[in-house]
Amino acid sequence: MASNAAVPFWRAAGMTYITYSNICANLVRNCLKEPYKTEALTREKVHFSIATWNDGKAEKPVLRSDTPED
Amino acid sequence: MAMAALRREGRRFAPLLSPRPIAGVRSSLVSEEDAPFGTRSISTQVVRNRMKSVRNIQKITKAMKMVAASKLRAIQVRAENSRGMWQPFTALLGDTPSVDVKKNVIVTISSDKGLCGGINSTSVKISKALHKLSSGPEKETKYVVLGEKAKAQLVRDSKKDILLTISELQKNPLNYTQVSVLADDILKNVEFDALRIIFNKFHSVVSFLPTMSTILSPEIIEREAEAGGKLGELDSYEIEGGETKAEILQNLAEFQFSCVLFNAVLENATSEQGARMSAMDSSSRNAGEMLDRLTLTYNRTRQASITTELIEIISGASALEG
Repeated sequence: MASNAAVPFWRAAGMTYITYSNICANLVRNCLKEPYKTEALTREKVHFSIATWNDGKAEKPVLRSDTPED
Repeated sequence: MAMAALRREGRRFAPLLSPRPIAGVRSSLVSEEDAPFGTRSISTQVVRNRMKSVRNIQKITKAMKMVAASKLRAIQVRAENSRGMWQPFTALLGDTPSVDVKKNVIVTISSDKGLCGGINSTSVKISKALHKLSSGPEKETKYVVLGEKAKAQLVRDSKKDILLTISELQKNPLNYTQVSVLADDILKNVEFDALRIIFNKFHSVVSFLPTMSTILSPEIIEREAEAGGKLGELDSYEIEGGETKAEILQNLAEFQFSCVLFNAVLENATSEQGARMSAMDSSSRNAGEMLDRLTLTYNRTRQASITTELIEIISGASALEG
């Protein structure tokens, strides 16, 4: 019954495998008990600033961060 | 490369003191040959100030070396542990640096902070060489730059070829989630047939070799699979579940990119700390040598002024007697 182009639901929603595995990893980390849980969640912090370049000019950099800037 | 870095470190002290300190100090003091006979040279204050600032610089570079050494220890362990992440991929898919593709994207990894010797320049040099190698009719090569230092160098002559620049990566300690989000961004924004990641692989505290890792896009993997070799054996694997081989290849390619990028970022960070340690070490040594030369000049100046005073006193006294 599966069609030839049966894609998993997450691929159809536009996610890459990396995003999918990150979400699964987050779920696993949230299953931990308390002291280990906060430790594990510190290993998930994301912070970097990315700028796309168009034809030799940089656009305004986008900051991707878990800790919002003030 | 290391020698150039050492020379550059030495030259940074030059505005403080010229490379031939004796001549330099003399040019600021009144030279004994040019001045009229009998004048005193100016006070030793100038030389003393210079010695004080060189001594402070030496303390600072020594402290930076200690800091880099401690950071190195921590991150080296993580880098070596992360090597296990991409090894299964190489075992499965092989490593084909010489693959011939139309769209190459070069991911150059560098540091945000400076004072780390020549590692960023070597990465940029290899990226530029790769760019030249892989350009040709119908082929296109673009850059994705991680880190401020490589961005500054590449912007100078390859502005048009830069697709993305990323910075502030090391604000929090490096972790896989951050690098995988970054890899995801790159995959979503960049079209590629092959990704070449350029980083400095950490072999030991004094040796970091620039290395290139190649990740192929799923379509190219299919193409190479037909050509035989390691990839051709993929068909002999049985696939469980409802996925097709193309889907699995795509998942694998994405995950491979993320793992290889994680390892590359960690290795580059380790190399950065190691290079900073050796750069600061040679700076402290240079500062020490400079301090020795300054001390000699200081003593010579001091003794010359004492001698001049003595001569004046004695000739004054003998003039009175005679």
